[in-house]
Amino acid sequence: MNRLDATRRLVAGLSDEAVVASLGHPAYDLYAAGDRPENFYTWGSMGVASSIGAGLAMAQPGRAVIVLDGDGSLLMNLGSLATIATCRPPNLTIVVWDNRQYGTTGGQSTATAHGTDLAAIARGAGIASAVTVATEEELAAAMAVTRRAPGPHVIVARVEESAPVAKPPLDCVFLKHRFMTALGTADATGGGPA
Amino acid sequence: MMPEPETVSTVAAPAAPAWAQGVAAGIHAAGSREIVYVPDNPLSHVLRTIDARYPDIRTTIATREEEAFGIAAGLYLGGRRPTVLLQSSGLGNSLNALSTLFVPYQIPALVIISMRGDAAEWNWAQVPMGRLVRPALDALGIQHLTIERAEEAERTIVATAALAFGARVLAACLLPRRLTTPPPAVLEPAR
Repeated sequence: MNRLDATRRLVAGLSDEAVVASLGHPAYDLYAAGDRPENFYTWGSMGVASSIGAGLAMAQPGRAVIVLDGDGSLLMNLGSLATIATCRPPNLTIVVWDNRQYGTTGGQSTATAHGTDLAAIARGAGIASAVTVATEEELAAAMAVTRRAPGPHVIVARVEESAPVAKPPLDCVFLKHRFMTALGTADATGGGPA
Repeated sequence: MMPEPETVSTVAAPAAPAWAQGVAAGIHAAGSREIVYVPDNPLSHVLRTIDARYPDIRTTIATREEEAFGIAAGLYLGGRRPTVLLQSSGLGNSLNALSTLFVPYQIPALVIISMRGDAAEWNWAQVPMGRLVRPALDALGIQHLTIERAEEAERTIVATAALAFGARVLAACLLPRRLTTPPPAVLEPAR
């Protein structure tokens, strides 16, 4: 499956889930597939998307949180899987678009092109629900599992690289404020909730 | 017959030092109920005090400082006021998240840094990063205060948190080794 098509399929099935996208192609494709206030697009901090999602899921236990990560990004922050396995936010799903390359930076091979199995690493870290999917149907089925079974879930989606067709707004503060307003966590008066 | 248990198990743990009690009290008084941390020895006293006195504060241990900041960013987006505890050596690990996530998105956090490499340091390997802490924070526009005495710890933490969560910026309190750490053995008289 191609990453943009898979992202479109995933977004079409969303309701009020918060979605955190890793910088570069995962964020571009999320924006192209369907911009929505509940999307949080990162423009930097490569590797940190799964950690942002973990904190968000811990803070908002009543809302499903989906992270759209990349194989190269997650490889930068494998410790995040151990922390997520320890904290066990049941409302967290990490989708890893595994195209076996650093797609945003010119297509250099990642370790997953040479045998590294991110779902096995997630299971080894202690996340029991960690699967690899290779088709849009398998992805849809794995997403359906996340809606009925407590997480955390890791879904490694083997995708083909595809050229980005759009980019989200560059105003980071706008993106943050829109996201927090959609979640009901914006604190326009200063201080904000504890 | 079972042997008598070690007497140490029946003795209360020694009270945390006054500076650590002040830091913990300040975090609580500032309304932060989330601590994300990578531990070091001085910070263990803060964490022990939090566990004992402030059970309404959730503590989350991270594998690396940048990850701790990522979790803290998510907590803030979810409506919480995060505090990050780290040793200064880990600030270097965090600079990408600070400079490309927290600063441009104006995401606040109370940052409490246990210093290495400053006065009372004995390990040269810790000195270069220690010297880099203030210039790095200055370059990122992150205000920082240094707590010099235990009596001022709580008040300084609360004031720093007010800056962080009121102005929605990162703000840091530095805990120098002369505050947190007994004098090193190198100061024993030479033989």
